[in-house]
Amino acid sequence: MSIQSMCKYLFILTISVWVMCSSMPVFAQAQDAADTVSDGKVKKPDSAGHQLCLGVDLVRLGSNYYYTDRKGYEFQADYYLKNEFYLAAEGGWGNSTVNYTDLKYTSSNSFIQLGFNKSILARDSWKDWDMMMMGLRAGFAPISRSSVSYIVMDSVWGNTPTETLPGKNYNAFWLELTGGMRVEIFKGLYAGWNLRGKFIMNGKSFRELAPLYIAGFGRGDKGANFIFNVYLSYGIRWERKSVNRLKS
Amino acid sequence: MTRTAATLLLFCAMMWVACSQQRQPCLDPVTASLIVSSVHFKSDTSKIPVDSSLPSAVFYPVTVLPNDTNLYSSSSAFILSLSPDTGFCQWLFSPTRNGALDTISFYYQRRLEFLSNACGFIYFYNLDSVRTTHKAIDSADILNATVNNNVNTKHVQIFIHPNY
Repeated sequence: MSIQSMCKYLFILTISVWVMCSSMPVFAQAQDAADTVSDGKVKKPDSAGHQLCLGVDLVRLGSNYYYTDRKGYEFQADYYLKNEFYLAAEGGWGNSTVNYTDLKYTSSNSFIQLGFNKSILARDSWKDWDMMMMGLRAGFAPISRSSVSYIVMDSVWGNTPTETLPGKNYNAFWLELTGGMRVEIFKGLYAGWNLRGKFIMNGKSFRELAPLYIAGFGRGDKGANFIFNVYLSYGIRWERKSVNRLKS
Repeated sequence: MTRTAATLLLFCAMMWVACSQQRQPCLDPVTASLIVSSVHFKSDTSKIPVDSSLPSAVFYPVTVLPNDTNLYSSSSAFILSLSPDTGFCQWLFSPTRNGALDTISFYYQRRLEFLSNACGFIYFYNLDSVRTTHKAIDSADILNATVNNNVNTKHVQIFIHPNY
């Protein structure tokens, strides 16, 4: 990735983070207003309880049937902290096979992403777990690439003989800005989507050859990827201790 | 609300999958282009070369492969390529279609470059030297030694004898 592209992506990321951070107090204020008793001074404790939500990405599962050259599995988990903040994590694994006339190799990787989500909608009640959220993640993937055989095609001088590059292991790091929504379709069962902007932080590692597909990140030869996920999740809930719920 | 959201989710997912492709199309130039310009001096005392617009220049790659001849009309800039297999290659050149042929020899270092999975690998080059015979060509200079897939850079300048 060129320095120019890197600067562009960092600029987009910075602006996005700034917009997100600056919007949080507004939503937090709206939430606080809902959580504040009439005299405006006493704030009631968060009565929403605990929730651990586990989900699977349906788009990735569907893509596995469509693509013959890449496979991937992605899962997500989030845990409600308080004040509409969620700890969030995604993980998974995948592989890709490049079998073109002029380029042949395979790669595989697992990945993990850690970060947080902030729900930007006020709840209707403490039972309301539907959410529209924004979040940040840091992602990491150890990648294993096989040896590469390649031909340089040339119509004037003829193609070069097949040459090889040795296999290699390396890591990918990225930052991600995400936004989306999630609705409870049955008790504890959620469907939701996320749009994710992912920005590679160590693009120079891929200069020799960027993998076709990095599970969790997307195309390896792009400095930024925009990914769409559809999650089916199940939320396990339990109540907080010493919380007297007000009638909603 | 829930049913609408679920339908929308499913629709978006299907659209996303349906719009994907197997191998992405390659949008980058996949050949490192060597741009050669022809110039001449207007007089023996002139110090500044001017472009020579050659009426029907021809270039032949010296290769064992049956290749098309590169024919140019009224041009002063020619796009050639270097052999990716070795560090040396030759082109035959004449400023006119049936004129005497000069040999232009290019000596260079190769550098393997990965463009993308769509385009594969390509060789970029660094020119070491250029030598020519002297039927129509007086001499040759390297203007820019780095030959890559940027087609807007002139790399070599050949000086044509004034009587051409």
